[in-house]
Amino acid sequence: MKGFWPVRLGSIGLAIVGAFLIDQLSRGNDFTQRLVVLAALYVTLAVSLNLINGITGQFSMGHAAFYMVGAYTAAISTLFHPDLAAKNPLLWLLGMMVFGAVMAGFAGLLVGVPSLRLRGDYLAIVTLGFGEIVRIVANNVKFGTKGGSYGFSVDVHVTAVWLAWLFAFFAIAICRNLLSTARGLTFLAVREDETASLAMGVNVTQTKVTAFVIGAALAGGAGAILAHFEGFASSNMFTMDVSFIIVTMVVLGGTGSITGAVVAAVLLFFVPEKMRDLPDMPIGGITAFFILTGLVVAALRYVSQHYHGAASRKAMLYSGVVVLGIVIAAILGVALNAIPAVKAVPLVEGAKLRLVVFAVTLIVLMLLRPQGIFGKSEFSWDWFRRLGKKSEAVLS
Amino acid sequence: MFLPIGGVELSTLPQQLVDGLLLGFIYALIALGYTMVYGVLKLINFAHGEVFMIGAYCALFTSWALGYIPNNTLGAGQWWMLIVMLVASMVGCGLLGMTIERFAYRPLRNQPRIASLITAIGLSLLLQYGGQIFLPLNQNIDSKINPAAGAFTIALGGGKAVDTATLKNTLQQKQAAFDEYLKRTKADPFNLDADGKKIRSEAQAAERDLKNAADTGKGTTLVIPYGKVIAMIATIFLMMGLTYLVMYTKRGRAMRAVSHDFDAASLMGINVNSIVTFTFLLGSVMAGAGAMMVATFYAGAKIDTFFGMVFGVKAFVAAVLGGIGNIPGAVLGGLLMGLTEGLVSWLGFTAYKDAVAFVVLIVVLLLRPGGLLGSAKVEKV
Amino acid sequence: MSLLQLKEATIRFGGLTAVNAVSFEIQPGQLFGLIGPNGAGKTTCFNLITGVYKPTSGDILFEGQPIAGTPPNKIASRGICRTFQNIRLFKSMSVLENVVTAGFLRHKTSLLSSLLYTPAVIKETKELEAEAMQLLKAVSLDHVAHVCSADLSYGMQRRLEIARAMATQPKLLLLDEPAAGMNPQEKQDLNGMVRNIREQFGLTVLLIEHDMRFVMSLCEQIVVLDHGEEIAQGGPDEIRNDPKVIAAYLGEPA
Repeated sequence: MKGFWPVRLGSIGLAIVGAFLIDQLSRGNDFTQRLVVLAALYVTLAVSLNLINGITGQFSMGHAAFYMVGAYTAAISTLFHPDLAAKNPLLWLLGMMVFGAVMAGFAGLLVGVPSLRLRGDYLAIVTLGFGEIVRIVANNVKFGTKGGSYGFSVDVHVTAVWLAWLFAFFAIAICRNLLSTARGLTFLAVREDETASLAMGVNVTQTKVTAFVIGAALAGGAGAILAHFEGFASSNMFTMDVSFIIVTMVVLGGTGSITGAVVAAVLLFFVPEKMRDLPDMPIGGITAFFILTGLVVAALRYVSQHYHGAASRKAMLYSGVVVLGIVIAAILGVALNAIPAVKAVPLVEGAKLRLVVFAVTLIVLMLLRPQGIFGKSEFSWDWFRRLGKKSEAVLS
Repeated sequence: MFLPIGGVELSTLPQQLVDGLLLGFIYALIALGYTMVYGVLKLINFAHGEVFMIGAYCALFTSWALGYIPNNTLGAGQWWMLIVMLVASMVGCGLLGMTIERFAYRPLRNQPRIASLITAIGLSLLLQYGGQIFLPLNQNIDSKINPAAGAFTIALGGGKAVDTATLKNTLQQKQAAFDEYLKRTKADPFNLDADGKKIRSEAQAAERDLKNAADTGKGTTLVIPYGKVIAMIATIFLMMGLTYLVMYTKRGRAMRAVSHDFDAASLMGINVNSIVTFTFLLGSVMAGAGAMMVATFYAGAKIDTFFGMVFGVKAFVAAVLGGIGNIPGAVLGGLLMGLTEGLVSWLGFTAYKDAVAFVVLIVVLLLRPGGLLGSAKVEKV
Repeated sequence: MSLLQLKEATIRFGGLTAVNAVSFEIQPGQLFGLIGPNGAGKTTCFNLITGVYKPTSGDILFEGQPIAGTPPNKIASRGICRTFQNIRLFKSMSVLENVVTAGFLRHKTSLLSSLLYTPAVIKETKELEAEAMQLLKAVSLDHVAHVCSADLSYGMQRRLEIARAMATQPKLLLLDEPAAGMNPQEKQDLNGMVRNIREQFGLTVLLIEHDMRFVMSLCEQIVVLDHGEEIAQGGPDEIRNDPKVIAAYLGEPA
């Protein structure tokens, strides 16, 4: 294999350098650091769920449960062996990541087995139910006075931004590697047509369970990082909403696309987080924003369906609609606020808008691009080559 | 007649089961909306619970319009007020359901179903959190608006003569001991040391014993508020109406045709769009009715924007349990769900109530992958 | 020893007996036809052989070993592969990927090495791709190797199904109405292609077809089913003149 080792070592080196670079850049501010770690964890979660949902086509909606199994494994182990954990926290965390991944993988096996008998929506519901069962059981787990609905505190803090990102890169690499091989194609085949896969000799049972176990194990590793970063693990960190958000990341990125999962995870994580800084806003403005969002989406859909001109003209039309929408929204907002009754309503806290904006983003993106941001395609260096060629063509 | 067995109080079983059954009717009503929409569109309408929530708000606002604002001084309400509230929330929900279908789901109908599903999740979040901006939170419908405030009390017998005098004596002694302890040590009653805690818990145990004995003496009684009975009767009527609509009218037949085969139905000249809208209307109207009844008749139902979450999830599980897409199945699933919950609460696993619902669901689905009354489709090779 | 033997194979769905005590033997290297009017139970027969259904009674022997009730993927790895009446390609994958997927069955690198993308796996993938290209050439689809399989024409999709089945290197190839929806020219080509494949890869072929001319010109041995029962068996000429077969296709003479 010529050129294998340089490429392999190069990519590993790049991942390590990248992870430490992110670590360095996020230093100094606890809040930023937390966001950066959580973003890495969400990337891991989205990529691992993408393996189950997107690549193997097994609609799972209980991914938060695997995340929680990892976190609780780490938390409870630390509770029982505090001395051992404190001796070398980083080594302990690495061990916990492995242990959490194993436990979560075991849970994945448990969920993967029903997936053999159930399809589509029914599987989605069972995984959702599984997530809730695990959460409720965890909510009642107690050791002495510790645990219960308040969860467990994890006294060994490890703030390792680089580790979170390195793990995310590891998850991405694993999925990408799998997809580049013939074995990976059998996972896609199971998604496309189970009957035909069976007839071609694909062991569908094994493939599905494998996807569940690997996906769950990655989520479990992420859970262990979370527990040691936050310093506690409680069941209300892993509600159904978390599972929904992860599913959304996968679908929004483009079901099956690893690149999409990564981009959507970062986007969907940071957009709402940035909203926390929003100033308090008058209710008239918010109303105007809602109304105009609806109208702009309708207009964009109309343009995409009825205008068949050149792509550049179409893009201009799109941006025109958006700009017009913003302008009208601003005017309408000011106008609404001029009404005394509206003005009398107290300002709305910016933080309250966080999940509203999240929800609106979701709906708007789905209405405008139902196949997800990346569709089924993956990032490749060819894009840049093609871009380069295009600009050359323009220049000459 | 009812004796405690192994720490489980048999005498509370009838009450729990009846409560569960009554609640089951409400679950069934909401489950109908899930099941009908799934039947025609094969879409899990995650926003259905939020439609239910808006229904509760419609009922609340109507009650305010009728004068039952917070801290009012009005007397008991009139029957027509209940009917106005019911109609208002049914209309409100119906309109909302149709709007959601038209503007959020219809544009995505030719896309992969997962796109609609994500939109449904988005809508659900939007209504929950957007509602927090525009709607009043933590409200109650004034229970005085219900003209039938009482309850049926049915004695089931089983009373037993118990000597309460001795227990009363013990209680007095223990209480005196505790008071004496407090006086002696001048301890803060909220921050006791081990001894104090021991004395206090002894007093509490004596009090509990006395109360239990008194309950045993009274025998088993069933208490069923009139309101819940009204809700049940209304639910049964609504279900009968729905059955008539679906089974014996032209639109209902069209609806069934669409749920069998969407494309074939449209080729046979059925206006599929109008049927889908009609289905959403029906489902949402049922949710509205359920919301009004829960908000009005179930004491302590605080209305906020998450009002629909618990009911939505339960009803959804009920629909799947019965076989999603199957109307009688939704009713069966709802009732089973209610009864199961009653049973679990009776056994003392209230903390696991929601988990048990899902355990039952998973077990049923593993044994019958299409739900109780549904049939799993076998793919033709 | 015969390659495939059905012994009184029977399957009932509720009250309906879809295949009733059908017996036939296929010798290695044969081009074997299975014909009959619509609803005769031909595809059900295929489903029995490939393990999609388990026979209610009777036996199915492949190379002398019973295979009834074995899971489809195990049967495929023993050397029986099929195409489908209603084309079942892996639609979102490219033409080449479809064939590579089927070829993977024979190559068992460990999961771990796939996840780590070791040099051995890279080599294996390359080999599989080369093999797949060979097969695509045999069905003359090599020029569209990187096209998404859903974008192919109907005739091409049928040929791709054959190539995909061939990639598992079967001993027995089952073709379910391979000529359905093809025009006369395409059928002619298909005829040549099937013969070619048999010669080149030393295969045995069992096929279901409605087009009598196609079957008669291609197959050496034919079984006729009607209402789940076997009504005739023999060479093309015998079948052509069998009164039962004529009755089944044209109805009883008045």
